[in-house]
Amino acid sequence: MPNATATIWDLTKGHRLRYGTALGSLVAAVALGYLVPLVPQAVLDGVLVDGGTRASAFTRRMIDAMGGTEFLQTRLWIPGLVMVAIAAVTGICTHVRTRLAASASEAVAKGLRDRLYDHIQRLPCPTLDKRESGDLLQRCTSDVETVRAFFASQVVEIGRALLMLIVPIPFIILLDWRMAIASVAIVPIIIGFSLVFFRRMRPLFLAKEAAEGKMTSTITENLTGIRVVRAFARQEFEKSKFASTSGAFRDEDMRLFRLFATFWATSDLLCFLQQIIVVATGLWLLTQGSLLVGEYFYCITAVTMFIWPVRMMGRILADLGKALVAIERAREILDTPDEHVGEPTEPASVMAHAKNLGGAEIVFQNVVFGFSKLEGTPPVLNGVSFRVPAGATLGLVGPSGAGKSTVAQLLLRLYDYTSGSITVDGRELRTIPRREIRGMIGTVMQQPFLYSKTLRENILISAAGHLNDEDAMCSAASIASVHESIEEFPQRYETQIGERGITLSGGQRQRVAIARSLVQDPRILLLDDALSAVDTHTESQILAGFHSREARHTTIIVAHRLSTLRHADIIVVLDRGRVIQQGTHDTLIAVPGMYRALWEIQTNLDDLDEPVAIGSVS
Amino acid sequence: MSLTPLDDEFKGKFDPRVWRKLLQYLNGYRWAVARLALGGVTIAAVEAYLPIINGRMIDRAVTDGSLGALGPLIALYVVLFAAFAACVFVFIKAAGELATGVGFELRRDSFAKLQDLSFSFFDTRPVGWLTSRLTSDCGRVANILPWAILDVFWGALLLTSVTIAMFVIDWRLALWTCAIIPLLAAASVVFQRIMLHSSRQSRRTNSAMTASFNEALLGVRTTKALVREESNLAEFERLSSEMRRWMLKNAVQGSIYLPLVMTIGAVGAAIALARGGSDVLAGHGLSVGKLITFMQFAVLFQHPIQELAQRFADIMNASSAAERVTSLLATEPAIKDAADPAGAAARIREVRFEHVTFAYKPGVPVLHDFNLTVRDGETIALVGATGGGKSTIVSLTARFYEPTEGRILLDGVDYRERSLHWLQSNLGVIQQVPHLFSGTVRDNIRYGKLDATDSEIEAAARQVNAHDMIGTLENGYGFQVGECGDKLSTGQRQLVALARAVLRDPQVFIMDEATSSVDTATERLIQAGIEAVLRDRIAFVIAHRLSTIRRASLIVVIDGGRIVEQGSHKQLIAKRGRYFELYTHQYAAEREAALFETGA
Repeated sequence: MPNATATIWDLTKGHRLRYGTALGSLVAAVALGYLVPLVPQAVLDGVLVDGGTRASAFTRRMIDAMGGTEFLQTRLWIPGLVMVAIAAVTGICTHVRTRLAASASEAVAKGLRDRLYDHIQRLPCPTLDKRESGDLLQRCTSDVETVRAFFASQVVEIGRALLMLIVPIPFIILLDWRMAIASVAIVPIIIGFSLVFFRRMRPLFLAKEAAEGKMTSTITENLTGIRVVRAFARQEFEKSKFASTSGAFRDEDMRLFRLFATFWATSDLLCFLQQIIVVATGLWLLTQGSLLVGEYFYCITAVTMFIWPVRMMGRILADLGKALVAIERAREILDTPDEHVGEPTEPASVMAHAKNLGGAEIVFQNVVFGFSKLEGTPPVLNGVSFRVPAGATLGLVGPSGAGKSTVAQLLLRLYDYTSGSITVDGRELRTIPRREIRGMIGTVMQQPFLYSKTLRENILISAAGHLNDEDAMCSAASIASVHESIEEFPQRYETQIGERGITLSGGQRQRVAIARSLVQDPRILLLDDALSAVDTHTESQILAGFHSREARHTTIIVAHRLSTLRHADIIVVLDRGRVIQQGTHDTLIAVPGMYRALWEIQTNLDDLDEPVAIGSVS
Repeated sequence: MSLTPLDDEFKGKFDPRVWRKLLQYLNGYRWAVARLALGGVTIAAVEAYLPIINGRMIDRAVTDGSLGALGPLIALYVVLFAAFAACVFVFIKAAGELATGVGFELRRDSFAKLQDLSFSFFDTRPVGWLTSRLTSDCGRVANILPWAILDVFWGALLLTSVTIAMFVIDWRLALWTCAIIPLLAAASVVFQRIMLHSSRQSRRTNSAMTASFNEALLGVRTTKALVREESNLAEFERLSSEMRRWMLKNAVQGSIYLPLVMTIGAVGAAIALARGGSDVLAGHGLSVGKLITFMQFAVLFQHPIQELAQRFADIMNASSAAERVTSLLATEPAIKDAADPAGAAARIREVRFEHVTFAYKPGVPVLHDFNLTVRDGETIALVGATGGGKSTIVSLTARFYEPTEGRILLDGVDYRERSLHWLQSNLGVIQQVPHLFSGTVRDNIRYGKLDATDSEIEAAARQVNAHDMIGTLENGYGFQVGECGDKLSTGQRQLVALARAVLRDPQVFIMDEATSSVDTATERLIQAGIEAVLRDRIAFVIAHRLSTIRRASLIVVIDGGRIVEQGSHKQLIAKRGRYFELYTHQYAAEREAALFETGA
């Protein structure tokens, strides 16, 4: 995967020096680690056995460096100290290696997380519509974790295993070349065996994961449907259903255990075989007198040191495949173009919260828009035209699916219209940077999203850094008729909402969202069925509040209740993407049509008999 | 205020009682436990014996000088290794049996418990939270048990046998070498403790970070509309920095611990080399081979100590999981059958609410002094504003909850004295957003009567006019409805749920907005079909549709947890009260919808 290699290289940007130093300390730590048993080897051969007379030149040099055979005979604590000192320096190198590798990999992970977070916020809505949020979430969390582990441990582990294998060879060759060959005789078989094994293990892992997924969804389904289970008294049936998926998971898991048992037992046997080869060869050379005790000791120690990491190499290499996939998956998100490409990049605070210059004029001309580009799907908006003068109020009516909410989403540039023209204060919408236009608009949706923060933070969310603006907060909350409800909460405005706090009712959420958009003091106020969960009385209070601020913003209200729209300056009736009627309440009611029919239904409640013959309307 | 079940993840303290309860699950696995213990003991023995053989081989090779004399020792070497590998095979299998078996049983018992617990338990616990109790918590607990058992046996035996072997060979040198044990133990205990803290902190931060990602995805449109991208990112960066800090801290602690332990091990070997070397030179009877044995022992020491410390940290980490599992298993359902339930009557002829008051949360009653009697053949329509208490009445009738005060009588007997299973076997509940299980349409209808034949299923579907709709689906009755029925529209799900309830043939029907999402024409057909079913049964209907309400024998208007009006449709209309108001409002909405349906 050359692509993944490039990505990996790209990710280490800014941390390469640290990472490089980490790998350097790794080499040092491994090399020093193999020096430690050289000390007892030298002491054994150069001091203890036969007065050191048979020691090799290499051993002699080490002994001389420590003071010579005779000197050491009475001062054996010196080599002991040297050994501890080398071990300590090895330890320091290991520490530096782990620390730097961790600091580099954590930085990579943090950078990746931040970039992903930033990027998913900026993905265009059409892209987000196509993606499943569970999948995105997984890429941002567990995939990043896999990438992190790759840098923190896998790279290091592979490097370590390789070095552990390579570094002692020259030392052993220095002592005895025959021992060197014996030491690595079947190492390739061990590596190959474990690599093949872990490759073949993969389908079993997948099967286990699939079984676990099935079991989890049995639980989830049972818990979400617990009322049905109880109402039908089907507890026993559910238990046996769960027993079968949970049992299937157990069996898959056990299959893995069984295979692992075979693998570890076999690979342990192979490792032991390697050790026995070394021991047998060593002993044979020892009896021949061509190998010294200390040298023998060193060889068997070195083999035990590298044989266990080597055994793990197959597993690490198998994991490597997973890491490469995870890197690609994260990369794919980052490569999806965000919606601000080519737009000015000044901080949002400059553009978004520009001074309110009063309501803006909005003109739609022959606007066409379709979510789906498939042939034969009718567009959601099909030639919509209307004009809202600055500071005026537009009411949008029509059945669901008529395109009312789409008008709001186009204005916010969540989607871009296919053809026609939308202008705001004479500027073509397509040319206005998204952040600028969004900063001008205060939006309240039918099911508004509130952040898991306190009420205060939610309401004052667009007044960043002014969380103490009590007046703005309370007056916005009062206009939105939610101030009193908030005061009833024990912690008032400091009440935490969301997963870790209280759950607000639909109407309360709508009103909090209205307060939030009022704090924003927008030039355009978009209410997309935002009063649907608010009762009529409260609604008229809120509308009266809006009325008093009228000149500050142009208002677009999508509503179902015509009483909500009665005072609108222009009312547009939409049906299946087209404007079928347009006018004020008074002009629309004067002519026969959808609007008047609706109005009659909503006001004329005297006729309480069977529903009228519907076909006669319109 | 909802409780915050997510926090207790990180509070777990080690409580031996919790683990003792879990140990009971090992009873059925004595053989596996025995094999684990055996495996641990054998491996420790082999590990402790190997340095001794090594030493002997060296001594013999040096003194004897012939390979032939080494034959038996090499053979012993091979045998020990083979025994080791065989033990590895045996104990991994035993660990597997134990982990998967205990995991299965923990899940089975927890699941069974969840089937019995009352709704008040579920109100405060999100489904996702409960699901992870059964999946990750049970798995963690079950996976830790075999390795803990193995390590305890292995570690204890290895430590003692190495110590004994050293003292047997040379007790003075043994004393010197053993000086490092307290150091190793102290370092392990201290570091595992601080590493436990940082790993918990990073896990906590990690879940906050996941929540933050989730919020970013859910609220992406709002974020865009509010131009909040930068501020959100700034807040997220605080979390991700904290994550980095804790992860790094944990890694650094680990990077001190391991080298430290290894250096202490080297100190042991160095002491052995220095003291033992002098003994070899002085000719005190210590051979070179035995010296090498000693040095290998000094290094061997660190493994069990390290491993045991690590295992203990794992157990600490899993403590909160263990505690959650045991506390779930120990939870008593709030609603239970009386010790001696009254005999199950053949049918329910009367449901009577007597002064029923109910509160989900103490002090906040949602139903006050509610009185109502319903006899078979009657259909009661419950109407009123949302949150007025209609659904509570349904839940109380189904005994999902029990009255806080007052009582509910079934044929004159308090239903708390009857069997819960009997009552719920006689209920047919259809909810507004009906829950279907993944599987086919046929499976879902059969849920009403597990031994129903295909033709019975079809008859039930025809009764509620679901048959034609099902015919339009791919594979008809064999259509896979998807997880929670999400491949079907709400209206289609309502039809399937109705058929399921009709197949159930219950005494008491409860329809909570059961047909709100089917179109008006279909709804009329359903009504006609259901009317025949309801003829001699009791039915509670919550509905907005006029046609449904008007057919009821009694209309009860509920507001603020009380009955504000009751009577027939005609009586209530004439009264021009609350019902009239609701009715006229609803009437408008319905006609409007009809207007849009036909199109302008």
